[in-house]
Amino acid sequence: MHLPKLASIGIRAPRLTGGNLRTPNLRTLGPGSVSSLLKIALDVAYILLALITGVLLLLWVASVFIPLDNLNVTVTDGDNGRQIPLTRPLLLFGVGAMTAYFGGFLMILRGLRKIFRTLTLGDPFQPDNVRRLRQIGLILAVVTGGVWVAQGLVAARLAPGVMEPQGVSDLLTPVFSILVVFVLAEVFREGARLRRESELTI
Amino acid sequence: MAIRVQLDRILAERRMSLTELADRVGVTVANLSILKTGKARAVRFSTLDALCRELDCQPGDLLAHEPGPGDAFDTAED
Repeated sequence: MHLPKLASIGIRAPRLTGGNLRTPNLRTLGPGSVSSLLKIALDVAYILLALITGVLLLLWVASVFIPLDNLNVTVTDGDNGRQIPLTRPLLLFGVGAMTAYFGGFLMILRGLRKIFRTLTLGDPFQPDNVRRLRQIGLILAVVTGGVWVAQGLVAARLAPGVMEPQGVSDLLTPVFSILVVFVLAEVFREGARLRRESELTI
Repeated sequence: MAIRVQLDRILAERRMSLTELADRVGVTVANLSILKTGKARAVRFSTLDALCRELDCQPGDLLAHEPGPGDAFDTAED
């Protein structure tokens, strides 16, 4: 079946030439690009986390020595609260857990910045990046597991009935994130192999 | 890898150094060295063409197939 030509039925189609097509105004390289914005975000987050982790670490060390006479702490989930006496083990556990939490993300950001540096140098598919991605996945798993266990402990021992422990469904998103990171690590491993093959292609 | 690159022999016959050949072919000395020592994984036709042109030889003069006992089970990874 032959379709009639547009011109013969009085329809003039627009000419889609290069001058008529506009690409989105978003560069991927150079100043103002996605990569440079990402780099700024990584650097800012890293500095902030480093400061927070440093302060928490100092607090944790200070927690060993500061007097805790008649101090209470309120454990709350936003609606209900319960006051419990602040003991040294509790203080060390709380500050230590927060230090570990922020420290874990600091290590993740450190790995991401190193991966990003290889990207800006034009050589991201290195065996080192495979190792870094696996480390990031592992740290994510440990932090996720640690938060789950810590919240469970607080809910069970310190504030039963006030704070609910995290359910298994709360682990869904973090577990998927961890899987994504490990899959990416395998992709980078294959990329590193292909890069090596390419290097050895004369 | 069962493919042997016989660059040494041809360079000696032509009385040419690896550096000179690298300059003529447009490949780095390091890469030619990788080729000569049998560590290369692949050769582009363009490189083979340039080598044959500069050494005035055929691809068969440069490359030889010498299967060994374990070559059938070689994998792509190092």
